[in-house]
Amino acid sequence: MKMRKKEKWSNSEAAEEVDRRTRGPVVKMSARCEKSTSRAIPTTRRVTVHDAAHMPQDYCTTPGGTLFSTTPGGTRIIYDRKFLLDCRSSPVARTPPRCLPDIPGVTSPPSATINNNGTHQGQMENNNSTIHTDKTAGEDAQFEMDI
Amino acid sequence: MISPAAGEHPLQYNYTFWYSRRTPSRPANTQSYEQNIRQIGTVASVEQFWKFYSHLVRPGDLTGHSDFHLFKEGIKPMWEDEANKNGGKWIIRLRKGLASRFWENIILAMLGEQFMVGEEICGVVVSIRFQEDILSIWNKTASDQVTTSRIRDTLRRVLNLPPNTIMEYKTHNDSLKDNSSFRNTKITL
Repeated sequence: MKMRKKEKWSNSEAAEEVDRRTRGPVVKMSARCEKSTSRAIPTTRRVTVHDAAHMPQDYCTTPGGTLFSTTPGGTRIIYDRKFLLDCRSSPVARTPPRCLPDIPGVTSPPSATINNNGTHQGQMENNNSTIHTDKTAGEDAQFEMDI
Repeated sequence: MISPAAGEHPLQYNYTFWYSRRTPSRPANTQSYEQNIRQIGTVASVEQFWKFYSHLVRPGDLTGHSDFHLFKEGIKPMWEDEANKNGGKWIIRLRKGLASRFWENIILAMLGEQFMVGEEICGVVVSIRFQEDILSIWNKTASDQVTTSRIRDTLRRVLNLPPNTIMEYKTHNDSLKDNSSFRNTKITL
């Protein structure tokens, strides 16, 4: 029994659909069928968010999973947590900032980078517990905790 | 003028890292607070943010009565700043051991524009104290309940808070009046 779909289908799509149902995996190319052209999968997609209630319940996704969303009043740059964490491993992000003040116990000295080789390596091992390593605070599975 | 370098991912706003530390016995007033707080750096892109963040100790490893602040460029993390005059903050008290993870998650949510309250967010603070640690998020208009509710709901989502977590709101005016950041708050469940 063919199910009637609410959306408008082009003749070619409808013909293909019928063929799939009645003939199994073999698609019959009738005279009315057109071969669809191939297209690259788009890497970004615009999703309009009108209401904050439409934001997803779980933090790992943004509406439509996009990086950029349009909000009332203009385009806003939105990044989800996963994307931000992925940026952390880029070479640019790992080099120390040029003007980091030296505050003992707070900032790590500019000469000792996280992946430093050579003479600083021994020193760095002692400091690893107090300075960020590549493993982020949130890398282990998120779960509910008693606060 | 700090701006993203070519190839970097821009942030919606520039943000400045601050650090402050106080000897608990010394009484706090505006002047001494301003002297005890210093800027670490300003970032305009995701990559610049990681540069700084990766070279700061985790809040859980700070000693003494210390705070990290991450505020929009141009807004001082002080009650008296123009942007904060009519504002307030949500605070969440954390038992020891949780500050580093929660600080990271609240920063990423703010930088990633997850709060959806227009221009209202001013910044976030993590405060390391003797027996507990405190996370705060400051917004411009304390009386705007739509905004403060939305911030509260977003916090629950992005920090994955247990449903019975107590969240407290305090206006900066009240903080000025009782010269205290974290006492006499309004409690919300």
